[in-house]
Amino acid sequence: MNGTDSGLFELPAELEIDTDVARRLIAEFIRGQLRQAGFERAVLGLSGGIDSALVAYLVAEAIGAERLLCVLMPYRTSSPASREDAEEVVRRLGCASELVEITAMVDGYFGADGVPGAGGRADLDAVPLRRGNFMARMRMAVLYDRSVTWGGLVVGTGNKTEALIGYTTLFGDSACAFNPVGDLYKSQVRQLSAAIGVPAPIIGKAPSADLWPGQTDETEAGFSYPALDRLLFWRIDKRRSVEECVALGYERAMVERVDRMVAGAEFKRQVPPIAKLGPRTTGVDYLYPRRRPGSARA
Amino acid sequence: MRNLGRTWAHTRGGRRGFDPARPRAARRLRVVQPLRIALAQIAPRLGELEVNLARHQELLAAARDGGAGLVVFPELGLTGYLLQDLASEVAMRLDDPRLAALAGATAGGPSAVVSFVEESADHRLFIAAALLEDGEVRHVHRKVHLPTYGLFDERRFFAQGDMLRAVPSRLGVGLGLAVCEDFWHLSTPQVLALDGAQLLVNVSSSPGRDLAATHEVGLGTASSWRSLMRTYAQLTTSFVVFCNRVGVDESISFWGGSEVISPTGAVVFSAPLFDEGLFFADIDLADVRRERISLPLLRDERPELVAREWRRLIAERAGLASDATAEAGAMDGFDVAADQAPVA
Repeated sequence: MNGTDSGLFELPAELEIDTDVARRLIAEFIRGQLRQAGFERAVLGLSGGIDSALVAYLVAEAIGAERLLCVLMPYRTSSPASREDAEEVVRRLGCASELVEITAMVDGYFGADGVPGAGGRADLDAVPLRRGNFMARMRMAVLYDRSVTWGGLVVGTGNKTEALIGYTTLFGDSACAFNPVGDLYKSQVRQLSAAIGVPAPIIGKAPSADLWPGQTDETEAGFSYPALDRLLFWRIDKRRSVEECVALGYERAMVERVDRMVAGAEFKRQVPPIAKLGPRTTGVDYLYPRRRPGSARA
Repeated sequence: MRNLGRTWAHTRGGRRGFDPARPRAARRLRVVQPLRIALAQIAPRLGELEVNLARHQELLAAARDGGAGLVVFPELGLTGYLLQDLASEVAMRLDDPRLAALAGATAGGPSAVVSFVEESADHRLFIAAALLEDGEVRHVHRKVHLPTYGLFDERRFFAQGDMLRAVPSRLGVGLGLAVCEDFWHLSTPQVLALDGAQLLVNVSSSPGRDLAATHEVGLGTASSWRSLMRTYAQLTTSFVVFCNRVGVDESISFWGGSEVISPTGAVVFSAPLFDEGLFFADIDLADVRRERISLPLLRDERPELVAREWRRLIAERAGLASDATAEAGAMDGFDVAADQAPVA
């Protein structure tokens, strides 16, 4: 594979972006989204991972750190190192931050230490996937509440790779008012993070949803981000067939598996369908831009 | 130089804008001056016609103060681009008093190219670019090519224009107006130049996309447009004026990068990417004559040959004649080669 390996991360050549243009375009996007909605401030969930760190830097660059609230929302099993990384981002940016532990909310539903929660006794044995999804939705609920107290829009931090393969929680981490990095592959998130000054330890560490201790994205998915990003780029952005991707050096089994993941996650990327009954149906034949005269907060 | 005024007069007998009562001598005496062009690289407010009208008035005044002879605003500069169902709500008839008021501001000042949603008498909606001059709406171009692929959905909301016409101007040269995608079809600049345009004006709302380090200025869209404009300027031996908007509609960020290209294909002026502003560029209209004398490409065009071949193609594509250049077994119409199985 052509490309660069900075030591911190590997960047396939075809994914390399002009980071100056990207920063300018994203800054205009962030300012435009806020202005059109009648907001001057933004709020996001800062996990200590690279995606939310990059978005914090991008928002601070676009509107100033003083208009950004970062909310740290650890669960009792969350990695202390992640929290330290998040705190380092807050320190460097000089933005506002809040710590909202979600432990009581999550344990209140699933129960803990043998004591059942609101979900009943059976939920004491809930599998990690359910717990992880629930945590993501609790964080979403906190962010949308802080959106009111801070008076800012919730900024999304999900990247293109995870959106395509469906490595997101519906109405959880994918919920936001707008997303400045949702069209950047993980490798491009790393490139942009390095350019904008995200601390190196955050760029270099193994990405993790941190839904349980020791979890990493790449061991869970079974392939590396640079390899996956490059495959998605050729398959989706450049419309290459399965055969052509095999000719690029990918194993057919991987190409087919990734295809299934992408197709299987289509529902996570789209607004739910509404049964067409009336003469004019939202999203079908009632089509307006999200922001138009009268739609901005007064 | 002085001939330029006559050139269009000569090619445009009987057309709108031509006044046979006006003595030829008066035109011949007209001295064509160097022209200052103002590019209004603005970020229109989506759906806010009144706000955008006021902004146009301000910039027209600023262009006049800056000594401009022509000020160009971007595609749908009066309405914003991603209108969807808002299109009918911001549409103007050509007799709309708001348009008349804007045109009125050009009396005694620079000519202006502005763009908006035009509603025709039969209630079709067009993406229109109008030349405002001497206080009136001098000419209207309705976007001919409406992109409906990729991120574009224009034909869902708009009707296609059916005319490409160069228009005489008080500037002493013929103008050829085109809107964005119109320039992604070779025939547009060619027809406009053959019809007498010496200054091609393309107004755009071009969404920035295809970010890659390998592209010129980091943006695939910008690279493509730059190639097009240099090529068209050279092949039509005309000035090309490109005014592209900036700002954000929904997911889309517009990249600006407005330009003026000389008839040799050389860049006269490039506006910065993404910056809003009123940018001035000075050109010498005499460059058109110089270039056309030394490189008589337009003189050597063969419109009768092209028209003949196009008539043949049209008949073949409609199945009214057999395809003279197709292999045996190929379908009538597009296909030249016999059917090939698509690659899986």
